[in-house]
Formats: sequence, C-alpha cells, structure tokens
Amino acid sequence: MASFRAAAAFASDAATEIQLLPLRFERLGANRFLVANLVGDLLLLNGEELDRVVSLAIAPGDGLYERAFEKLLVSGKGQRSQLQLLALRLRSRMAFLREPTPLHLFVVTLRCEHSCPYCQVSRRSVDRDRFDMSEEIALRAVDVALSAPTPRIKVEFQGGEPLLNFELVRMIVGAVQERAPARNKTVEFVIASNLALLTDEVLAFCRDNEILLSTSLDGPADLHNRNRPRPGGNSHELAVAGIRRAQAVLGQSRVGALMTTTEASLGRVEEIVDEYLRLDLDGIFLRLLSPYGFAIKTKQFDRYGGREWLAFYERGLRYIIEVNSRGVCPRPRRAAEEGSVFRHSRILSTSSCVRRSLVRS
Amino acid sequence: MAEILVEFDRSTQSIGALREAAYRIIRDASCQIETAGERYLCRLTPKQGGRSTSVGEEGLRENFLDLVTDENLREKVAAETSGVRDVILALAFGALAMKQDDAGPA
Repeated sequence: MASFRAAAAFASDAATEIQLLPLRFERLGANRFLVANLVGDLLLLNGEELDRVVSLAIAPGDGLYERAFEKLLVSGKGQRSQLQLLALRLRSRMAFLREPTPLHLFVVTLRCEHSCPYCQVSRRSVDRDRFDMSEEIALRAVDVALSAPTPRIKVEFQGGEPLLNFELVRMIVGAVQERAPARNKTVEFVIASNLALLTDEVLAFCRDNEILLSTSLDGPADLHNRNRPRPGGNSHELAVAGIRRAQAVLGQSRVGALMTTTEASLGRVEEIVDEYLRLDLDGIFLRLLSPYGFAIKTKQFDRYGGREWLAFYERGLRYIIEVNSRGVCPRPRRAAEEGSVFRHSRILSTSSCVRRSLVRS
Repeated sequence: MAEILVEFDRSTQSIGALREAAYRIIRDASCQIETAGERYLCRLTPKQGGRSTSVGEEGLRENFLDLVTDENLREKVAAETSGVRDVILALAFGALAMKQDDAGPA
C-alpha cells in the first residue's frame, strides 16, 4: 500500500535555488534593521538575519526563509510568480504616474508676517520685488496648469502668506477663468492662508469665485501662538476669527484647517481635537513636522522622534474614536449626511506614520 | 573634540560608499575624504550640537564604520539584484512602453 513520503524527500537544495530580490534597508539601532522590498513592504531583522538573507544563507523551514519569501525579499530561481507579483504591485503603486497632474501650486509670495519656526518654506519678510511672483511668471504658470491633460484641475495659492499678494491672486483667478472654458477645464481654487489678513473684500472675492480657504490651527490659543508667532502674538485670535467669518460668508464646508505637531503639542492632542470641535471643523489631520525650510534650520524637526510621534498619534486616534463613539458631531447640520462622524483625515498615510519611523529611529 | 581619522584600503573599499556614509553622518560630523597612496583617508570633524558630545570620539568612529558597512551592503545588494530588478520593471512597465511605441510620435 502506498504511503506518504517523508518531508525530507520534498526538501530542495535551497542554496542553489534561491535568488535575492531588490531590497532597501535602514539601520534602526546597533543590531536592528528595517528592510523594505521593492514595493515598500517592511520587515524588521537583526544584523545576523539581514546578513543571512543577503548572502542567501537561508533555507525552507528555518523560519527566516519563510519571512523573507513572504515579504518578497527572495524568490525561487526560475520562478516567475514572485517577480510577476512584484511587477503587478509595482504597476499598481505607480499608477498615479499615468494620471495627469491635477494640483498646481502658485507660490505668489515668499513673504509672511508670521515667523513660525517650523515653516516648510524659507519665508522672507521684506523685499516685495525679489520674493513675489511676477505677473509674467503667473500668466505662464496659468498656461502650464491649463495645459495639463486632466479635465479637472485645482489651483492652490500658497506662500509665504498669499494674501500679502492678493492682487496677483485676483489676477490669476481671472486669467484662469478666462482661459479655462476654451480648454474644457473645470477649475477649483484654494487659498492656503493664516487668515490674519482676511478682509471683507477677500471674503467677497472668495464667495463670488467659489474659492476654498485652507488655514492653520495648531490647537488652543497658548499652543497655537507659541507655534505660530507674529507681531502682537495674536495669531490664534485672528485665525479663529477668520475661520468664523469664512464659515459665515462661504459656508462651513468651505474652510478647513491643518495642524502641525511640535514638541509642545505632544501632550495635548485631546485639547487640539477639542479646539477643532469647538470651531465646528469637521475633521483633523494629525500632521507631523515636515523636514523642510525653517523646520530644519531651527532644528524643530529634531525635537521629537518616532516613538513620541506614534504615541501622540495613537492617543489622538483613540480620542477621535472616543469622540465619535459618544456621538459628538461638531456639525449637526451635516450629521445626517455624514453619520455624525468627526473624521481623522489621511489616516495612516505615509506621511503620518511610516515616514517618521523611517527617518528617525 | 579633535579630528578623527578613519582609513580604508582603496583596493577593497569603494569611494561611493564612503561618500554616502559621509552624507549620512553630516548631522554629527563633517567628513573630508582624501586619497593617500593606496588608502582613503576620511577626516571626521565633529559638529557642535551633534551626537559626538554624547557618544565620544570612539562612538563617532564606530558610527561612521557602521554607516560605511551598511553602504557596502547596499552596493552588494544593488549589484546582485540589478538583473532581476530590470526583469521586474520590464514585466511591470514593458507593455506600457510598447503601447507608447505603437502610438508613434506625438
């Protein structure tokens, strides 16, 4: 009577049949490595394990082979399935490259009356001629934006503080609206502003041209003002007033806010979320510092590490879930539409979690 | 803290890995790479506010050697996987390139 053969009969000469696949790694400590395959799947290995994977000193059944195989770090030689799987996932991951760019940022000035130490832009405070976009450049940029093959584009005004060059914003909006119909484009406008310079004239212009406002709100007044200094120390007061006025004139959904997490924010995530709720903002994006501009020059980026960031993020996420489970909704008018949910925007996005872990161990 | 000198044999150590390691340690030390006969001389000048004040001269040297070791491993992986990487890229995007070719010049 036939019987099953012993497991050993199915073993192969793994050393000659395994091949290494493209990988990247970062050292997280003396003997700890974060290893990523071609499409960004991650695996934690110690130094000895990494050496064994790279030198292919692994074999089916030893545990490490299975971990490396599962993460597409190794494959069987001559087997195309692993390669095809990687290729398929790579193609999906890069699918955005086939889409035309819909978002076009117009940095109309580098000047700003705030002096936030974490600013992503190397802002300037003087010399309008040198640090404002010229009309000539603006009109050329409009043509570039409208030449994008996509039927819908978004034009976002950034700075510095774009309201310091509002006349150029007005000119660009007019030029886009004039040229867009001939190219069958639908255009959405956003002004990213600290709202300190918001006037009735600006609000009326935003209302008449259906322009969205995006502002910065880092939390309660003391935290916000500490993070975002300006002459008079009243950034929070002006931002809150601006949000309220914009909500009244443009509609609640036409103004949004972003926060930036500094060292001073770390123990206060609940207060930050509460501040967003108090102002009837319907979502929050817990956002870490971006390693650009003044954030590097002032060493703000070095003030906290991956562990502190993740602890802050987890506390915030738990609190947001708790808020939602209580049925608290900052915007009763839209409760029926959105199911009374206070949203955490861009949850678990690359920027919010993984990158920080990779950059700082 | 005084300058730290780390030497490598040119016959076994690539300059590319040294340059990458020099870049990665830039927050803690500036690294000047010189050639002297059959040796590469890496002169590390610790920076104020960098980690050298806490880890000391020997710690900084070890850190640099770790970075060079890591870069050497990255070079080895890149060299050994370049062929299969091309295969994967061809599988992923080859069809798109063919479509583009078929479309002819714009």
